[in-house]
Amino acid sequence: MTKTPDDPRLELLQGTLDMLILRTLRLGPQHGHGIGQAILRQSEELLRVETGSLYPALHRLVKRGWLKSEWGVSEANQRAKFYRLTPSGRAQLIREQDRWSQLVRAIGRIMNPAPAAEE
Amino acid sequence: MRPDDRDLEDEIRSALELSIRERIERGEDPRSARRAALEEFGSMAAVRDAMHRVWYSRWFDATMSLFQEMRIGLRSLLRTRGVAVTVVVTLALGIGANAAIFSVVRSVLLRPLVNRDADRLLYIRQTARGIGTEDLTFSMPEIGDLESRVKSISAFGDFSTVDFTLIGFGGEPRVVTAGVVNGSFFDVMGLRPALGRLINSGDDGPKAAPVAVLTHRFWTTVLHANPSVVGKVIRLGPGNATVVGVLEPSVPYPAETQIIANVVTSPHHLGATMQKERWHRMTELFGRLAPGATLEGARAELKAVHASMVHAHPESYSAGARVGLEVKTLRDQLASPARTILLLLLAAAAVVFVIACSNVANLILARSVRREGELAIRAALGASRAALRRTLLAESLVLCGAGAALGVALANPMVTVLTQYAARFSVRALDVSIDASVLWVGVVLALAAAVLLAFVPRLPSSDAAQGIGISTGSVRITSGTNRRLRAFAVTQIAASFVLLAGAGMLLTTLMSLQRSETGFNLSNVLALNVPVISFERQPHETAVMYKEAMRRIKEIPGVEHVAVGTAVPWRDAGVFGPGFQFTIDGYRKADAEEDPRARFRTVSPNFFASIGVPLVAGRDFSDADRHGAEPVVIISQSVATRLFGSRDAVNRTLRWTDPVMKFIGVAQGPRRIIGIAADVDDENIVPGPALTVYHPFEQEIGGGRLFVHTNARVDPYTLVPPVTKIIRELAADQPIEQAATLEDVRAEVLAPDRLNAFVFSGFAGVAMLIAIVGVAGVLAFSVSARTREFGIRLAIGSEPKQLLARVLKEGAVIAVVGIVAGVAGGYVLARVAGSFVTDVRLPGAAPLAVSATILIAAAIVASMMPAARASRVDVIKALRPE
Repeated sequence: MTKTPDDPRLELLQGTLDMLILRTLRLGPQHGHGIGQAILRQSEELLRVETGSLYPALHRLVKRGWLKSEWGVSEANQRAKFYRLTPSGRAQLIREQDRWSQLVRAIGRIMNPAPAAEE
Repeated sequence: MRPDDRDLEDEIRSALELSIRERIERGEDPRSARRAALEEFGSMAAVRDAMHRVWYSRWFDATMSLFQEMRIGLRSLLRTRGVAVTVVVTLALGIGANAAIFSVVRSVLLRPLVNRDADRLLYIRQTARGIGTEDLTFSMPEIGDLESRVKSISAFGDFSTVDFTLIGFGGEPRVVTAGVVNGSFFDVMGLRPALGRLINSGDDGPKAAPVAVLTHRFWTTVLHANPSVVGKVIRLGPGNATVVGVLEPSVPYPAETQIIANVVTSPHHLGATMQKERWHRMTELFGRLAPGATLEGARAELKAVHASMVHAHPESYSAGARVGLEVKTLRDQLASPARTILLLLLAAAAVVFVIACSNVANLILARSVRREGELAIRAALGASRAALRRTLLAESLVLCGAGAALGVALANPMVTVLTQYAARFSVRALDVSIDASVLWVGVVLALAAAVLLAFVPRLPSSDAAQGIGISTGSVRITSGTNRRLRAFAVTQIAASFVLLAGAGMLLTTLMSLQRSETGFNLSNVLALNVPVISFERQPHETAVMYKEAMRRIKEIPGVEHVAVGTAVPWRDAGVFGPGFQFTIDGYRKADAEEDPRARFRTVSPNFFASIGVPLVAGRDFSDADRHGAEPVVIISQSVATRLFGSRDAVNRTLRWTDPVMKFIGVAQGPRRIIGIAADVDDENIVPGPALTVYHPFEQEIGGGRLFVHTNARVDPYTLVPPVTKIIRELAADQPIEQAATLEDVRAEVLAPDRLNAFVFSGFAGVAMLIAIVGVAGVLAFSVSARTREFGIRLAIGSEPKQLLARVLKEGAVIAVVGIVAGVAGGYVLARVAGSFVTDVRLPGAAPLAVSATILIAAAIVASMMPAARASRVDVIKALRPE
């Protein structure tokens, strides 16, 4: 799956995938495929998470205790592994969200400085 | 909970299914939906590995796959059981021998002594190299001189041994060897009591109460560690003594004793001779370094004080004796006799290990060549070199692990044997224990072997030539591998040659010892210790007892002769010191020549007949040569020839001139020579010219040893009970000990030599066996890999016989090259060893030639089977294209 230059999709910023997964799971338990699809849908098809990144990330979050996983049955009546947020995962999401908005603000200030500062 | 790989794959598969279903629901064609989903997923294995890496470290994986490989290795080894068993047994022998010898070396040479600050505990001894004695011991006046003038020694401890008859722990009266010590002895030695107290300064002097301390060994083995013995009063020789304590387990030095008592228990120690006479030497001396003093400093001061003492008393130190002083730490003194032999053993064991490893390397190399096809295919499929090495390492770990386990199991009985062996050289070996060090040595050696073995075979490289190997999957032997195989075989032959030559040298020595003509009748003479009891019995009573005992023993059926003497040949060697000076009237000394020295022996009439030694001239002693009659002596042939050449020595007059004679109560008056006995050397196994003067046992102190000469039809040992009964009837508390034929006495004395030869022959035998298997293996392998070559040779007209000879020659060449390497290596080894230990001898030509012949013969025999196989190669089969 090599990317062509005219591919409109965006590359994920380093370190943001965990946050996106946590955010997606705030709406309720979901399986890996569903998480990938949700991110794709929410980003209006701009962010496609590679399976090779998504699944290891899920396991990393489980290992850190922010997610819990269990086998369940999907709406299509298919066996699938479901992930849900743990309380510490919820706290982590808040921390990451804070950090993210700070980062966005900081970068925004640099990229679009207030007219007074530019003079 | 870590998910396992199956769980991970499950998850991926279900995700894939979800994705496909979704696409179908969106209206895609099922087949293209599947293809698209798979494409989107990429490599499932890569995804799984990425997930796996979240949970498992690389180390964990490497270990797990090594275990996996080991399981596979075990299974594949079980299929080739012959190779596996050979390898395991070979390694076990190598590892076991090393582990066993190392634990003995550790106990004897490396383990610290229990003595407090053993580094500051010195053993001091006097030597008289001029008369060939390394251990002259000390007299009390000498010790007094050193004690009063040496400042770098804070305290001296002295120790001398006395045999006491001990009564009081139940059972028969027994003769015990007791150490008699001064009050500071235990403090100097730095030993503590296990029970009660030890002898201290309060027990010194003639006024103290007689006390005794039991050694730990005696207390545990004979008295069953009974704690109530402390406080008990026992009969010790002439008087009573109170047991005050038990000594902690410690190295029994300078002598293995049962009891250690204070000076007052021994009348001899209190006597004037002991206290005043400078030449009355029977005391061992120990010293503790004063604070701040060094060994070198103390040694220099002791030597200086000793030299001035010698200078001040010229009458007591004859110039020719060259009396000197030696100072060592006790630890060095204990280890030194065993060091050479143990280091040699260690070297031999290391050589066996090298042989074992190179043999195993050969087997593994041969095996891996057969597997080259398999390895090449794996390499082609993308297995990394590390992965291939891991496969090899796994297999060699399985082999070496099994070898080590078996080796450690073998080591335990070997330690037991070795301990008894080493005990002849160092008392420290008596308490060798088997501990974890055996295990560690085994594990370390096995790991070393495993790693070595895993790196022996070459891995298939990616060059084109290997491609052929894959396509045919058959055995190909490269010249490089062949060279390696041969190099290992040569190593084995060389190493076994060194061991064989060493063992051959020891065997030659042993054989020359055993073949030496002693002059004694060995098989029909029974020797018994019937010690002289000095308390409650006058000397003449002892003589009467011996005479009556001899009269009655003579009447036992089968007894030819019976006699009393002072020394059992060889067993009592050295007990009487280096001999005493004497002179014979009519002998003219050269200028500045000292009086000659002769051994002093006391024997009863009929002694020479009893030990099977003929009289050359004159007569034997008779009952008339008793106390008060004319003093007479019989001299050995060597005395006569040394002093008078061929002229007759009988009826000349002999006098003892040695000053020591005064203290042992031997008169220096004239004695008439009445006979000359054939030479026998009762000190050395290989007899030298022995100057000996025999006295009638009623005229001089002596006795203590009984010799019974039986006729050839009687087993001498059957006489022990009747002889014991006769003596006990005469004296109920008379100890009777160590009955043995002279043959067995000699065997006992030769035991260390025999053991040396035996152990080294064992090593050499094992080494040779391994080497032979190695040579046979190499040739068998080389023949089977060259089937095609032999087929072609046969097809173009070679005789099968020629092929046979060709392979035999290859075997012989390996052996010859190995032997040449062995000679060179052995020579270098001996040179190197010679710089660490003294008296390294090179074997003579005979053992070398014999060893070489044996090895070449063995190599040719080993080549027989592969050679026969080569000559029977089926031409058609060999030439059929693969």
